[in-house]
Amino acid sequence: MLKEFDIAVLGGGPGGYVAAIRASQLGFKTALIEKDNLGGICLNWGCIPTKSLLKNAEVYDLAKNHADDFGLSFSDLSFDFNKIIKRSRNVSEKITKGVEFLVKKNKIDRIRGFGKIKTKNEIAVYDKDGKETERISAKNIIIATGAKPRILPSIPVDRKRIITSTEAMILPEQPKKMIVIGAGAIGIEFAYFYSVLGTEVTVIEMLDAILPVEDKEVSALLAKSLQKRGIKIHTGTVVESAVPAKDSVSVTISKDGTKDTITADIVLSAVGVTGNVEGFGLEELGVELFKNHIKVDKSTYRTNIDNIYAIGDVIGPPWLAHVASAEGIHCVETIKGLNPHPVNYDSIPGCTYCQPQVASIGFTEQKAKELGYDIKIGKFPYSASGKASAVGEKDGFVKIIFDAKYGELLGAHIIGGEATELIAELGMAKTLEATYESIVKTVHAHPTLSEMIMEAAANAYNESIHI
Amino acid sequence: MNVEVVMPKMGESINEGTLIKWHKKKGDKVVKDEIIFEISTDKVDTEIPSPAEGVLNEIKVFEQETVEVGTIVAIISTEGESALPAETVKDEPPSTTQVGGEVVDIPMPKMGESVMEGTITKWFKQVGDKVNKDEIIFEISTDKVDTEVPSPAEGTLIEILLNENETGEVGTIVGRISKTGGLNIPAKVAPAQKTPDEKVFQKSAGEMPSADKFVKISTPEPAQAENRFYSPLVMSIASKEGIGYDELILIPGTGIGGRVSKNDILNYLNIRNTAKIPMASKLQANTESMSAVKRESVDKTSPAGVYSGEVEVIPMDNIRKRIMHHMINSRDTSVHVTAVVEADISKIYNFITANKDRLQQQEGIKLTYMPFITYATIKALKEYPLVNAVIEENKIILKKYINLGIAVAVEPNGLIVPNIKRADDLSIRGLAKSIAQLSSKSRNKGLTPEDIMDGTFTITNYGVFGSLFGTPIINQPEVAILGLGAVTKKPVVVEVDGMDSIAIKPMMYLSLSHDHRLVDGMLGGKFLNSIKNTLEYFDVNLF
Ligand SMILES: Cc1cc2nc3c(=O)[nH]c(=O)nc-3n(C[C@H](O)[C@H](O)[C@H](O)COP(=O)(O)OP(=O)(O)OC[C@H]3O[C@@H](n4cnc5c(N)ncnc54)[C@H](O)[C@@H]3O)c2cc1C
Repeated sequence: MLKEFDIAVLGGGPGGYVAAIRASQLGFKTALIEKDNLGGICLNWGCIPTKSLLKNAEVYDLAKNHADDFGLSFSDLSFDFNKIIKRSRNVSEKITKGVEFLVKKNKIDRIRGFGKIKTKNEIAVYDKDGKETERISAKNIIIATGAKPRILPSIPVDRKRIITSTEAMILPEQPKKMIVIGAGAIGIEFAYFYSVLGTEVTVIEMLDAILPVEDKEVSALLAKSLQKRGIKIHTGTVVESAVPAKDSVSVTISKDGTKDTITADIVLSAVGVTGNVEGFGLEELGVELFKNHIKVDKSTYRTNIDNIYAIGDVIGPPWLAHVASAEGIHCVETIKGLNPHPVNYDSIPGCTYCQPQVASIGFTEQKAKELGYDIKIGKFPYSASGKASAVGEKDGFVKIIFDAKYGELLGAHIIGGEATELIAELGMAKTLEATYESIVKTVHAHPTLSEMIMEAAANAYNESIHI
Repeated sequence: MNVEVVMPKMGESINEGTLIKWHKKKGDKVVKDEIIFEISTDKVDTEIPSPAEGVLNEIKVFEQETVEVGTIVAIISTEGESALPAETVKDEPPSTTQVGGEVVDIPMPKMGESVMEGTITKWFKQVGDKVNKDEIIFEISTDKVDTEVPSPAEGTLIEILLNENETGEVGTIVGRISKTGGLNIPAKVAPAQKTPDEKVFQKSAGEMPSADKFVKISTPEPAQAENRFYSPLVMSIASKEGIGYDELILIPGTGIGGRVSKNDILNYLNIRNTAKIPMASKLQANTESMSAVKRESVDKTSPAGVYSGEVEVIPMDNIRKRIMHHMINSRDTSVHVTAVVEADISKIYNFITANKDRLQQQEGIKLTYMPFITYATIKALKEYPLVNAVIEENKIILKKYINLGIAVAVEPNGLIVPNIKRADDLSIRGLAKSIAQLSSKSRNKGLTPEDIMDGTFTITNYGVFGSLFGTPIINQPEVAILGLGAVTKKPVVVEVDGMDSIAIKPMMYLSLSHDHRLVDGMLGGKFLNSIKNTLEYFDVNLF
């Protein structure tokens, strides 16, 4: 007799475990199948451990480069690279244990092992040696198997010299020279981290700006700041090949037809991710894919098979943990028949946690113009904020874009200290369809960085007080 | 000495309050500023302090009773001589309003639930002019009514913020008055400001320098019956696109918690605009000055911007734009079908001919067909209540009362539909009087928002212009409208004692446009025939 469930969730990342908890809250008998620790990439090899590393870098940067600004001085300032890595692992471990506890508390059957969908209602679970350990039946299956780093043939990852983000956060020793291929959030965060610790970092990006999804002005300011730090940046540059040798890698790059070869002891390939869609039964069942991801209807997350759903990184961009969780909740509520409001993909905040931090939501100026909006832009620089000066965050700005016709908040872009925390207010404003008045008339505490948001919104209508 | 305690005025549009709790009993001793009772109004709930020290001598309003502002609620008999004279307490709301020098904002008044903006058509006063309280200072035109707005205070008009032909949202400050000598209320009357509740009380009372109904509306109107929330963005789009509350209500919401989202309203606009309406873009210009409107309409009505031959370009006034908009909205909302019957109205005709002069002289009643037809219509509405209904999404809202609308043409080019409230309670004479009152009020711009709101069925009389019959457009959100044709004498075949013969009879076509979504042909036909029968066999003794 198979153990029966209302909902079986395959994959325990921020998509899967959140979906499972919500399912259990709604009274479904729920199973969560995960081959590793709960928490997925995000808690084990993504968001959380990287943020831990970045905090180390930030503290060290402050002590090393800005102590004098605060009248402090250190002699013999040093760090232990392995301890930094250890701290990151400890943080991750603690958080994933927390999730194991949450899952238990919610009376979810947490099944350890690799799940394979056998029929549309049956999942077999295998242990590390490939031995079937359990088989369950489920009325509904939610696939949340996530994504893995994309590997290009020209950049053969060997996980020693040419590595992915996973190895980059547990390197046994700090590299002297590092080449980061791909200037998305992951690439930039590692570039910042290693550069602060003293590694000579070169970033190579095929598109014409770093953080290419961000507003051009933001990318430009960040590039300037990183270059000032000593990071070499090559945009509009293609990697032709990366060839590992015994203790180095040589990377051939080409820009506008001109080739060059650079070497480093470590190359980090951060060229995006691709869905985990292989080896667990999708082909056999005939689940429809597109571009290495599962194809779903984004209002229900249903695949082409009516009781099989998919959420999170495995269904494609924007590959973010908070999106995976939102989709998980929405999917379960849909199964429950609650008819939830669809996830609004126009209001997803995106953050990069280097210093200065970058956070944004909605359209960039370029995108808004492309779409034909007549726009009003409000900007406010950190240099004009009292709080920013007090805490020593002089670089950066808040930029808010409104539709001139109806006053809609189209997009917001922040670069500077605490940008990733500041963006939340604008997410709320966008979700509630606030217009500029709502932001300007909200009394913001003084002195805070958040005042800059109010000022930037006011600036769009020439009402800013402090500039 | 006795001090009268009155139901205080808690805000501009509040005319009554419900006493929810007495904190004192008859005979209790009260000290000044001590809370003696609690009231609830549509805007605020608050505790009312005693205006004086003494003994609660008499309670005139009991718990759960609702009374008008100013009604005496209780009498306190004071023992000492320091008590205030009774009149002071009675006449004025408790307030800390200062005397003189105060600047009073004049807001764009709210002329009805669904009216979001108004256009100033005329200022009667200029900056620097002295104004008396209640003196007409400007005239506005809105979606629903044109009206004259009286001054909220006595003083000097010191600022005009919205000029003639400019449109402002309800609540926009259109001008300011500096009070020269305002209310003189001893501050002592006001309660001490201690508890938060009292502050609410203080504030609303203080903001309100007069009892006039057009003064500053500080609190937003209560939410729609449906209690829907509209985001600032939706409101912004609605106001820029000239979508009123009544129209907003019709837009299905798919946002969080069923709210109307940006996408919902944009979709709606799309549908509205693609219905061959080039004017949506013109409506948008509402908030701009008329001259801007003028240019816009020229540009947008004619895509090429080229006219052959001589033309005159006339900017539409507010009323025209509103009528246009309402007509389109109705056409796009209801499935109009029109049925026609012909009624022999000999009996009424004869009655009117025989009694017209006498009634005019003796009772001042100008006798027309209207009272008879409204009477017959009310009777039919009672028989077929579905015609007195409203469609709300997938629900039918049957109205148990009849507020009968009468379309009135207003020179030079206006059209307005005030309604007779609770017309089902009136006799024919009552109807005759109400009709006369409404039409005179309409022509003299004396209608109040209440006159226009909440109609349940409409009658339009195009017969007065000689039309035989028409296919009227339903007054939303109603589901049918009755059109009256001109009375003409015609040869008709009558059967007397089984013999057909031709007679000359005064005949009238009645046409009913009904919304086929709810009212089918059978019901429409039965309803029309009921009216026809009442008219043909009219019992003149009813008058
Ligand atoms: C270095 C790095 C930094 C990042 N930083 C951020 C950040 O700051 N903010 C942010 O929002 N996002 C960040 N991300 C992205 C984020 O980690 C992902 O978007 C998120 O983890 C996606 O969640 P998921 O549940 O869809 O998939 P995952 O987190 O990938 O979880 C999938 C889980 O399914 C399991 N699994 C797969 N197949 C099977 C199977 N057949 N049987 C059993 N188990 C299976 C896997 O073991 C895994 O645990 C980062 C990613 C990386 C790599």
